[in-house]
Amino acid sequence: MNLTTYSTDPAGLQSFYEAIISAHDTYAPVEKFGKYDFIKVDALSSCNPDSPIPKTMSVKPLFFPKSARVMKYKATSEGTELSDTEGDPLAGKRVVLGVKHCDARGLQVLDAVYKWDYVDTDYEKRRENTILISTRCNEASTHCFCTSLDYDVEKLDAFDVAVINGLDGKIYLQARTEKGEFFLKENANGLTVANGSAQEEMKQQFEKFAGSFRLKMDYSEINEKMKGRFDSAVFEDIPANCVSCNTCAFVCPTCHCFKISDEKLKDEGVRYKSYDSCNNVYFTLMAGGHNPRPVKYRRWRQRAMHKFVYYKERFDMNLCVGCGKCTISCPVNISIFEVVNRVASSMQE
Amino acid sequence: METEVKEKIVSIEKPHLEAPADWQPVIMGILCNWCSYAGSDLTGTSRLQYPPNIRIIRVPCSSRVDPWFIIKSLQASADGVLISGCHPGDCHYISGNYYARRRFLVTKKLLNFVGFHENRVQFSWVSAAEGPKFAKVVSKVTEDIKKLGPLHLYKKENI
Amino acid sequence: MDYTKQIQDIAGRLFSENKIDVFIGYRNTGFDENQVPVLINQYKDVDQLLFTDKSVFNLANYLKYEHTRNKRVGLVVKGCDSRALNLMLTEKQVKRENLYVVGIACKGVVDETGEMAQNCIECVMPDAVIFDEMLGTPSGRREYQENADVRELDGKTLTERQEYFEEVFESCIRCNACRHSCPLCYCAKCCIDQETATLFQGANTTSSAFHALMTWSLHLAGRCVDCRNCEKACPSHLPLHLLHKQNEKVIYGNFQEHLAGMIEEDRGAFYKYSLSDPDDFIM
Ligand code: SF4
Ligand code: SF4
Ligand code: SF4
Ligand code: SF4
Ligand code: SF4
Ligand code: SF4
Ligand code: FES
Repeated sequence: MNLTTYSTDPAGLQSFYEAIISAHDTYAPVEKFGKYDFIKVDALSSCNPDSPIPKTMSVKPLFFPKSARVMKYKATSEGTELSDTEGDPLAGKRVVLGVKHCDARGLQVLDAVYKWDYVDTDYEKRRENTILISTRCNEASTHCFCTSLDYDVEKLDAFDVAVINGLDGKIYLQARTEKGEFFLKENANGLTVANGSAQEEMKQQFEKFAGSFRLKMDYSEINEKMKGRFDSAVFEDIPANCVSCNTCAFVCPTCHCFKISDEKLKDEGVRYKSYDSCNNVYFTLMAGGHNPRPVKYRRWRQRAMHKFVYYKERFDMNLCVGCGKCTISCPVNISIFEVVNRVASSMQE
Repeated sequence: METEVKEKIVSIEKPHLEAPADWQPVIMGILCNWCSYAGSDLTGTSRLQYPPNIRIIRVPCSSRVDPWFIIKSLQASADGVLISGCHPGDCHYISGNYYARRRFLVTKKLLNFVGFHENRVQFSWVSAAEGPKFAKVVSKVTEDIKKLGPLHLYKKENI
Repeated sequence: MDYTKQIQDIAGRLFSENKIDVFIGYRNTGFDENQVPVLINQYKDVDQLLFTDKSVFNLANYLKYEHTRNKRVGLVVKGCDSRALNLMLTEKQVKRENLYVVGIACKGVVDETGEMAQNCIECVMPDAVIFDEMLGTPSGRREYQENADVRELDGKTLTERQEYFEEVFESCIRCNACRHSCPLCYCAKCCIDQETATLFQGANTTSSAFHALMTWSLHLAGRCVDCRNCEKACPSHLPLHLLHKQNEKVIYGNFQEHLAGMIEEDRGAFYKYSLSDPDDFIM
């Protein structure tokens, strides 16, 4: 399949966005209490597709919301009646603007587990019906380390349409998937098809962008080293200042743990699927009262090992896309980058 | 904020939501065992009428009422909450209701602050001998809640 | 306000005299200007310690974890932190004899924009109220001021307030960072931890957020010391101080100007009463 690249100027991009917002159900970063959440918008003025990196929450909630209904039940005289919940608000056809590359990669990571042995149909439907349009990350923020983690500038197929800032001042809109190709074709009003140089532009722009990273690391090496580190004494003192909340997992675009809970009202109720986190002390609490991870360092070890060892072994990708959201949101700014590096490097000592 | 009686019963907090025609408020009544619960008994044995909208829970003392109970009631099914204990000085445990009324004031103000009409949660002191007062209090609270309409805020079933 | 040198000296001295097992202080994050709490276990690490106007986190919070339990602990407290510590002592969460408290005569810390934080502008007691050693010159107790944001919201109509708070509760993701960052939320099983409380909702819905945050703030009413650990921890940046300051306002105005943790052995406002407390809202 041939993927087309279109070019336009900044004003053209604005009108492209405006046209999309008026024609489709569009989600974009909207400022709320000083940070940006992906929310349904009806005008470009109310959102900011180029929202600042450290202040933007991930798109994960559009596919895997903090809580979602999975089914309903009702006690009747004949027994229990089960039914599907109707009207999933996230299932319709929609477009998401302003998706950062790490976020979109996070969805690919989620795909692996949610379409694995059991296919989460709600999730799959939300994914299928969504067009992701990227934003232009021009400069890394303090906590970004996405280029270190399975970042392939040639491939870039995590989103459907890539918005690229050319060094020549032009803006390139590039279809990255088939879905994106059709979408761009339908909405190409006012865009011109770019010549072959766009690919080159893109690479150059990437080089410049990659140079702006403070955090860099060779993760293939880390994966290898982490493998034997389960009993590392380093785990025991690293997260001493962690307060054991759930924040790092809830804001992470790749964390996918959930809990199931029933909300009961008289004879009927709804079953919900909500976020859960392995840093929560109750995460592994068993019915008999035993808790294999009663202390902080064991929980943190699970977090680090799941991200860089177990997931890698099972799906051949890291359960981390290097977005730095966990570090920024953590009450005490614990950096997963730092932790993992310390654990990995401790082996050489 | 004035409450007005309208033809159609709408929720004060969410005026765009109307109540079904046969709507009847559900009022959570949390009564202290020694005075108000006995008082409500007396109301019954004296064959005084009061609205059937109240669902009574008995607690050992008004100071047993954690603000949590109030929040929980509002979030579950109640349209209003009535909490009643012994008159000041009459608490079976000497001072329970003095502690309780501090919490009640703060809870009431906080609920109002976040957008609940102040009549949603009401308090009374009813002694074991005050059967008629109990009937009066329940009628008043029911009347108030009827005017406010159904409570839709943060209801479990809506979300 | 820079007490880096003094704190390193004190911590070094305490370790070399074998008076403490752990010292809780601040260190640089290593990647930006900000500071994070650090638990130091040995003499050779004391040079990590820092104290400037970016030393924001309330360290009393760490007295509730396994790392400090039954150990001799040294820690740094600002005015607000010391009030929280005071309450923890009164509520028998820590033993005074296990602590070595370095009090700070605080000049205010900064928020993320670099301006002085709102709670510091309104701070009633910048000097540590409990300490073994005091750094800086105490500036004394200040007048209580009503919180500006609370006053502004109070001036709005019921519907406006309701709409505002609906958005607040809707934005809460139920991560519990607020509860875990609060030094006074030390219950091992908290009523807002969804897994433990049978009365509580498990799902992370708006309804559950309302339930949790309201209950939580009412359990802190009369105890909250306005350190804003909770608010700074919140990944959704929710204005949690509104709830706490509203409660504090009602308590200060009605219950003999009570402020939490100001004096030793003073439990929260809900642990005492006066015969003249307002009664007119009760039928
Ligand atoms: S672990 Fe942290 S850096 Fe990695 S993807 Fe999750 S939030 Fe981003
Ligand atoms: S890191 Fe923890 S919360 Fe995240 S996916 Fe793994 S086990 Fe789940
Ligand atoms: S966000 Fe930070 S404090 Fe909370 S569990 Fe994660 S690492 Fe620990
Ligand atoms: S609230 Fe007061 S004591 Fe606390 S940091 Fe601010 S000025 Fe210092
Ligand atoms: S509720 Fe917040 S401001 Fe109050 S003491 Fe706890 S952390 Fe500090
Ligand atoms: S920290 Fe914020 S988002 Fe997390 S539970 Fe508390 S209020 Fe909700
Ligand atoms: S026993 Fe009735 S209020 Fe305490």
